[in-house]
Amino acid sequence: MIAITPATVLRRRSDVRYRRIEGEAVVLRQSAAEVLVLNEVGASVLDLADGERSVGEWIDALAEEYEGNSITLARDVLAFAAELAEAGLLEPVAGRSEP
Amino acid sequence: MSLSRVVATAWRENLLFSVLLELTYRCNLDCFFCYNDLALKGEPLSREQYFRLLADLREMEVMNLTLSGGEPLAHPDFLALGARARELGFVVRVKSNGHALRGELARRVRDEIDPFLIEVSLHGATAATHDRQTRVPGSFDRLLANLRELRDLGLRVKLNSTLTRWNEGEIEGMLDLADSLGLPLQVDPEVTPRDDGDREPLQVAPSREGVLRLFRLQFARGRAAEEGAPEVQVARGGDDGTVPTPVHKHCGAGSSGIAIDPFGNVYPCVQWRRPVGNLHQQGIGEIWRGSAGLAEVRELTVQVKERIGAEGPGSHLLNFCPGSAAAHAGSPLALYPAAVQRREALEQVMEEERKTLLPVVR
Repeated sequence: MIAITPATVLRRRSDVRYRRIEGEAVVLRQSAAEVLVLNEVGASVLDLADGERSVGEWIDALAEEYEGNSITLARDVLAFAAELAEAGLLEPVAGRSEP
Repeated sequence: MSLSRVVATAWRENLLFSVLLELTYRCNLDCFFCYNDLALKGEPLSREQYFRLLADLREMEVMNLTLSGGEPLAHPDFLALGARARELGFVVRVKSNGHALRGELARRVRDEIDPFLIEVSLHGATAATHDRQTRVPGSFDRLLANLRELRDLGLRVKLNSTLTRWNEGEIEGMLDLADSLGLPLQVDPEVTPRDDGDREPLQVAPSREGVLRLFRLQFARGRAAEEGAPEVQVARGGDDGTVPTPVHKHCGAGSSGIAIDPFGNVYPCVQWRRPVGNLHQQGIGEIWRGSAGLAEVRELTVQVKERIGAEGPGSHLLNFCPGSAAAHAGSPLALYPAAVQRREALEQVMEEERKTLLPVVR
């Protein structure tokens, strides 16, 4: 499992293609010919994974978009980011993640 | 949400998901049964119009983009359009005859377009048959060399073949050839009239025996696949379970997919040549939302669902295509010989399978 902290900067892998359909994301990982469907938060995470913003900045952006407990949101986003990285959809940007 | 539910949603809500672009009808082969209307005239879409179209399609959240032809690589802007499609995040497929896909061009396709899949036409297991269909001597040998090169470049390639009277005796050989190349082969058991209605291609439509042979092979391979052997994929070979059945439409023609010819004419599907708009007059968004022709097509797909459902329990074996029906019989609702032949052949082979698998009672 890849360790993800709020300072980690992630980007979508180059073989990932996705589109939003009715709020959800249809994702294709080309190299594996795998299709996934992510919920609305997952779709937002894919949008945010631009290789520029840190996971902490994602959490801030999502907290503005979705109401709810910010601690729970932060925990969920960190776990979700790790899952997406594990699934080969996201990768860390070398040299961009703060210590 | 599963993928089938996404597809069902796209059909139901008319969400454009897949677009096929026929970039040009120019081709470096001359296949006898080619369905393109080579006499069709019009003003080809410019590079700028294609760029505008791609931007609009991105805005509409279209995911799948197929570059086809003719031979799409014969379009002077093929690489530029493919690269733009990649930049905009489309899942790009290229349908090619493979004749020019080698060397520097093949590398540029990989590096600049990064297609999800390249679909290449295979016409036979021997040079005699393949070249007879393409009417270009040497095309078979060149294709095999190109396929090996594409594979070595790491490009994902699938072979497509249309079953014809000329190649139906070589199906096993074509499958062996595909296996030796490590590539999947999909066989379409249906030859269609040309897009202008010319029925000349039907002269090489497969025989009943040829279709039976294909389906027997498909079933036999299906059994062997359980032990790890490669399967044969059959296009239009019966309901494969991927079509979302709860939807009130027969297919996604005009509801989740469209095709666009080199002159900007928009059709509900590559198979269904009923123009519903033209990009020289309107943007794709305007056509998608406001075309009366598209509204009719969507309604027709509802009627087709009812019409085919009335055929009874074996109706899915027809793998009915309203576009083919319109081309063969003049109406998208009419049963046509190739679909009936397919159902009969499948029913026969399934019956043979049942007898084979029944336990012997003494």
